[in-house]
Amino acid sequence: MSAEPATLDGAAVDLSVTGMTCAACATRIERHLNRSEGITASVNYATERARITIDPTLLREHGLDSVIDDCVATVIGVGYGASRSDHDDTTHSDRRLTDLRGRLVVAAVLGTPVLALSMISPLQFDGWQWVTLALALPVSTWSAWPFHNAMWRNLRHGQATMDTLVSVGVSAATLWSLWALLATDAGDIGMTMSMSLDGGDGTPHIYLEVASTVVAFILGGRYFEARAKRRAGEALRALLDLGVDQVTRREADGRLVEVDIADLGVGDEFLVRPGDRVATDGEVVEGTSEIDMSLLTGESLPVPVTVSDRVMGAAVNTTGLLVVRATAVGAATQLAQMARMVNEAQSGKAPVQRLADRVSAVFVPIVIALASVTIIAWMLIDGSVEKSFSAGVAVLIIACPCALGLATPTALLVGTGRGARLGILIRGPEVLEATRRVDTLVLDKTGTVTTGMMAVVEVRVSPGGDRDRLLSVAASVESGSTHPIARAITAATPEPIAGATEVIEHPGVGVEGTVDGRRILVGRARDTGVSPSWGRADVTVVEVSADGVVLGWIALADELKDSSLSAVTAARAAGLEPVLASGDRAEVVDEVADRLGIERRLAGVMPADKLTLVRDLSAEGRVVAMVGDGVNDAAALAAADLGLAMGSGTDVAIAAADITLVRDDLGAVVDAIRLSRRTLRTIRVNLFWAFGYNVAAIPLAMTGQLSPLVAGAAMGLSSVFVVSNSLRLRRFR
Amino acid sequence: MVLSVPGMTCGHCEAAVTTEVSTLDGVSAVLVDLDAKTVTVTGTSLDRERIVAAIDEAGFDVG
Repeated sequence: MSAEPATLDGAAVDLSVTGMTCAACATRIERHLNRSEGITASVNYATERARITIDPTLLREHGLDSVIDDCVATVIGVGYGASRSDHDDTTHSDRRLTDLRGRLVVAAVLGTPVLALSMISPLQFDGWQWVTLALALPVSTWSAWPFHNAMWRNLRHGQATMDTLVSVGVSAATLWSLWALLATDAGDIGMTMSMSLDGGDGTPHIYLEVASTVVAFILGGRYFEARAKRRAGEALRALLDLGVDQVTRREADGRLVEVDIADLGVGDEFLVRPGDRVATDGEVVEGTSEIDMSLLTGESLPVPVTVSDRVMGAAVNTTGLLVVRATAVGAATQLAQMARMVNEAQSGKAPVQRLADRVSAVFVPIVIALASVTIIAWMLIDGSVEKSFSAGVAVLIIACPCALGLATPTALLVGTGRGARLGILIRGPEVLEATRRVDTLVLDKTGTVTTGMMAVVEVRVSPGGDRDRLLSVAASVESGSTHPIARAITAATPEPIAGATEVIEHPGVGVEGTVDGRRILVGRARDTGVSPSWGRADVTVVEVSADGVVLGWIALADELKDSSLSAVTAARAAGLEPVLASGDRAEVVDEVADRLGIERRLAGVMPADKLTLVRDLSAEGRVVAMVGDGVNDAAALAAADLGLAMGSGTDVAIAAADITLVRDDLGAVVDAIRLSRRTLRTIRVNLFWAFGYNVAAIPLAMTGQLSPLVAGAAMGLSSVFVVSNSLRLRRFR
Repeated sequence: MVLSVPGMTCGHCEAAVTTEVSTLDGVSAVLVDLDAKTVTVTGTSLDRERIVAAIDEAGFDVG
């Protein structure tokens, strides 16, 4: 949604509003906004948007930006948050990314010479240590600011995270080095740092390179992770794009007027032309047609509707002209409810505490305790304040592992990259870390385990008839239609197809046309007792007749994908219990479930039911992966622990899911889950090694044996190990 | 003085009304009952007109 061009006719702009807790809040904001002259505002609580229409006079006098700024100020003044919604999310994450990049570049550029000077003795010219200090200070203060900031924030809540560890380690290293340079002979011009293990020449060590390197490594990890993060709210936007802006209203006197959707009220009658989206929920008052309700049910086969049938806003009208009386508008429509559901499902997903933070929460207090014990013990045994603090600080420094910053991002990056090669696009890599071991797999039927397309499965002809001839006449009549059944019949018929004349479509009934002088009708099979039994429940049957005489029947079905059976077997083998859920009829769902050998099944489900199913399964203590492709799957996809969208699916489903599968076969689902498990295991192993090397060095630090060489080696080795462990994910198959 | 404000539904509404009405001269206490949808204002020399205007400012109608 962007601002419409500011023309002389005024302009309309959307603001996104945060902090509204009830419908009364929306009313309140609306009142305040409308108080300004030249502004007409309508605030939608469900979508958290305010649509502002600006009067042309006001626009000319003040300009678009200033008017919008005023509106934003008004909303904030009432006590809510507001921003231009066109680039809200983007600017926020972009700003964070730019900020991180700046800090990372400074840390890397200044940190590299610090590291080189400290580690390579021949480079140590007179006064080198003061140069490293000048280079390292901006790194451990400005570059490391996000860590320090987070540390204070956490401290107020009595918590310790990975940030705490980094901040404490960097601060200890920097302050100690600063003290050593200023107060001891480490600051003497001509001092060189011994890289020997004993470190026993009495000069306190300086650890500036440790501080700089840790900051650079961890910022690097953060940066790459932030870059890969998904943007929230995409699903909602895609869903709202399905809405209709303009509608043709039929006035009481029969006149037709084009009006804005906002001006349509409950009880108003409006026109839905063939090919149009239905503007809002309502009841058909005139006309007969077929409506594509896939939005609600996921089923692509259009549903016949006629007078007094209910239709849903955003569903697509296929063939006939309808007049519909609105029964719900705005936030009360099913589409708005679905948007709200997706939104709630997405925001209701509590952020899972990161593994690194969980480890840190335990690790940090232990380290601080150890450092204190070290200081006290040295004081008691040796009595030297300098030695006591030297050892204590060394504990803090060595406890902060470089590799910690690499453990999670490298595994996620490699896992994501490997996934992309396998046709598994991971939109939010963080889900790989957050997802516990998935044990339940909810499958949508249409378009997920089936192809989602109608295909001719069987043809039966009346005695004396001919199969090809039957298909050929049916195809002649159907060739001009885009109806899924028509397309399936045309596709099953060998070329060439003769065109029929005088073709008439009877919405909800069938198609009629003249072929070779005979009047051919292709329509839904009537239950006349003559139509044969097909031995399966999931077929749709059409009857073909010529001049009233039945020629035969064509059975069509949405067939299983070739890969579905083997994928369900593979899922079982991987310890996943499959569950089938569909908006389709129970007979059809049973047929498909039986053939796949799936026990747990649910038919006739509405979007809200799918969401409930996912929530119920979670409440049973299961970790749920959901696979779907339709708009009606979106909320469930967002709510599931792991949401997977088929690549052929709708934008809404793809935007709501964590993973998109490019390959259209179900086998990719099992691969994706296995990949997420492998990635999680890699992160765990990485964390173990990241901490492991450094933990091993803690006893050295406590006994005062730690030298920069050991510190550097511990960090270097653990980093190398972590990176190469992550790279092993590349061989995932 | 007790006023009926049917539009209030949540703590946010309550806070808004309380803030607006409290700024008026002479008001010493504002008590909102969300269940009964009432606002009880106590103080000296209270002017109903001004209180209704303040509640309107907060975004609610006095019913």
